[in-house]
Amino acid sequence: MTVPISYFLVLAAVLFCIGLYGVLTRRHLVIVLASIELMLNSVNINLVAFSAIGPYADITGQVFSLFVITVAAAEAAVGLAILIALYRNRDSIDVIKHDLLGTDKEKSVSTLQ
Amino acid sequence: MTAQEIFFIILALIAVTGALLLVLLKPISHRVVSMAFAFMAISGLYFLLGAEFIGIVQIMVYVGAITILFVFGMMMTEHRTIVFERDPRLSHQAIGLISSVSLLGLLIFGILSMDLPQTEGYVGSAEAIGLELYGYFFVAFIGSAFLLTAALIGAIVVARKEAD
Repeated sequence: MTVPISYFLVLAAVLFCIGLYGVLTRRHLVIVLASIELMLNSVNINLVAFSAIGPYADITGQVFSLFVITVAAAEAAVGLAILIALYRNRDSIDVIKHDLLGTDKEKSVSTLQ
Repeated sequence: MTAQEIFFIILALIAVTGALLLVLLKPISHRVVSMAFAFMAISGLYFLLGAEFIGIVQIMVYVGAITILFVFGMMMTEHRTIVFERDPRLSHQAIGLISSVSLLGLLIFGILSMDLPQTEGYVGSAEAIGLELYGYFFVAFIGSAFLLTAALIGAIVVARKEAD
């Protein structure tokens, strides 16, 4: 392998930070979930890179990335189900509108009715 | 420059472009498609690293299943007239940008100052993954099976229309 492992680590860091920016600033709920998937994927790149060309190359990293893929699939399914139920009940996909747990009690009660 | 480096640069460019378009584009459907492109490029990186099994699982699960799931999630909700009213907390956008960029800088600084020895690649096979999965990680494997079953049932229960 002629590509150094640092390249893979830097690429994973870039993808992770793009996903983090998406989670923090986007307002559409589907895009927030997609950004979380992107962050999980960048962690997978790290695991597979260390498993293939790391200092202690081993198969364990690939097994771990399989577990991460499993958990990500379960998370996407449940997250999208919650999103659809939320959209049906509150009729909005905007993240900022979903603040029932906020301190502004009067406003939350008024939006419920 | 070897062939591996050229392929790495092409795949990394596709992945980063897809991720950026996922965050920056306007229409939701275009964003989901660019996410699929990023996932495809990441599976190409796995093939480059000699992890074929993980690459194929990535294509099947992410490009096949999760992208379709997101397309359905987009279709079932509001996607045509996305006009959010102006965000009263515009400073949150700036704080998010600053924090993620500074985290990126810290990570890159840490990675480049690390001194990792260069090893000749280790090529794993599906057989080795299966032996490890049914050996040392058996309990975790069964646990992930339970997790998937619970997620399946939970997703159906949460998303179905409540009977009156």
